[in-house]
Amino acid sequence: MLLAGLFAGVELGLNRVLAMDSTALPRLARLSGRVIAVECVAPPLQLFILPSASGLQLAAQWTGEPDCRLRAPASSLLRLATSTDKTRILHSPEVSLEGDSAALLELAGILQDLELDWEYELARWLGPVGSQLLGSHLRSRVNWSGQALGSLRLNLADYLSEESRSLVGQREADARFAELDRLKLALDRLDARIERLAQRPKPIV
Amino acid sequence: MNDPRKNSDSEPTTHFGFQNVPESQKAEKVAEVFHSVAAKYDLMNDVLSGGMHRLWKRFTIELSGVRTGNRVLDIAGGTGDLTRKFSALVGPAGEVVLADINESMLRVGRDRLLDKGVAGNVSFVQADAEKLPFPDNHFDVVTIAFGLRNVTHKEDAIRSMLRVLKPGGRLLVLEFSKPSSPLLSKFYDAYSFKFMPLAGKLITNDAESYRYLAESIRMHPDQDSLKAMMIEAGFERVTYHNMTGGIVALHRGIKP
Repeated sequence: MLLAGLFAGVELGLNRVLAMDSTALPRLARLSGRVIAVECVAPPLQLFILPSASGLQLAAQWTGEPDCRLRAPASSLLRLATSTDKTRILHSPEVSLEGDSAALLELAGILQDLELDWEYELARWLGPVGSQLLGSHLRSRVNWSGQALGSLRLNLADYLSEESRSLVGQREADARFAELDRLKLALDRLDARIERLAQRPKPIV
Repeated sequence: MNDPRKNSDSEPTTHFGFQNVPESQKAEKVAEVFHSVAAKYDLMNDVLSGGMHRLWKRFTIELSGVRTGNRVLDIAGGTGDLTRKFSALVGPAGEVVLADINESMLRVGRDRLLDKGVAGNVSFVQADAEKLPFPDNHFDVVTIAFGLRNVTHKEDAIRSMLRVLKPGGRLLVLEFSKPSSPLLSKFYDAYSFKFMPLAGKLITNDAESYRYLAESIRMHPDQDSLKAMMIEAGFERVTYHNMTGGIVALHRGIKP
């Protein structure tokens, strides 16, 4: 019952968020009738996701066979939820996928493409003028924070690689890796040549 | 020996809460109760169960296994909580019938569902659970949530549900039952007979209806008796799940 209560709360919040995107619900309607099971191996937990035109329904159990079953440890599920390259994670050995994977990938795509019209939701509470003022202020803060973070990242990378020489710079590392690759290739060739010489029949005296 | 089910006019009697009434009067008395509470039914459900009724219904939906294109009958559907969820699950290719014997409850349910945009695959039927007006082998799933205890002849209602189900179809009965722990039972008794009529008085100005609710719960068959009734009616693989310590139980049976 506790789990059902938790899922009910998550479902309510999630569906409110989905309703803020103009394309999410029509896209979910196309997945209507599909049942996607997500099984967390460690800790053991099972979740069934049922998309429909009104949003997502989350269930702790479901009678009948799901269309798609994803089985993975919690860490992989978390990476899958946050990563943009989901295919790479789905192909990792600790993740198993059975059934119609298209439904799962479509659902993941919908969640990833969410563009929330939070200003509309805000306007319902603050009115158009208040939401516009708050919105533009928040946008400029977000832009400033993004630029500041980007700049900090570049400065830090510069300092660590060029000034303190604690880390190797990206280009230097690339050049060194290329050298190592060439060396490995030359070694492989030498290995092959020695092997061939060793196999050559000895001349008859 | 006197038959306790007979009164002086020898008309069979049945229980209406803790009272014994002639069978012909029970439906009328139950109807009065629901006419009285229909307008604030949802609010009272939330107040009295602390919102737990939503979780009990969620569990019912999870166990129903309803899929796209299924035909579902929601008996005693009241204000349409289950119907709304089923409507989304069966999709445009499926059908959900919300049936209730009480006109007021059906009207509240219909208005509420239409207000929420639930339409197209839902129909509303005023029907007696004992004599369901549907063809044989018609539904994939039949549910009755918090309705069976108000039915005069429960055995007839269960047989009627069996008749309208397709072979392999599932009946789900969500109903108040007997708490499994004696301690919880004592607390529950105090809660039912003291708090529920008081809340009814304060919110709907009708303590009697909620006294009936508490009494009817006590008179309803316990988990094993209801299971036996379903088996007797012809259901197979009958199981039940206790929820909230047995205060509510969900019975499920399959039509062979």
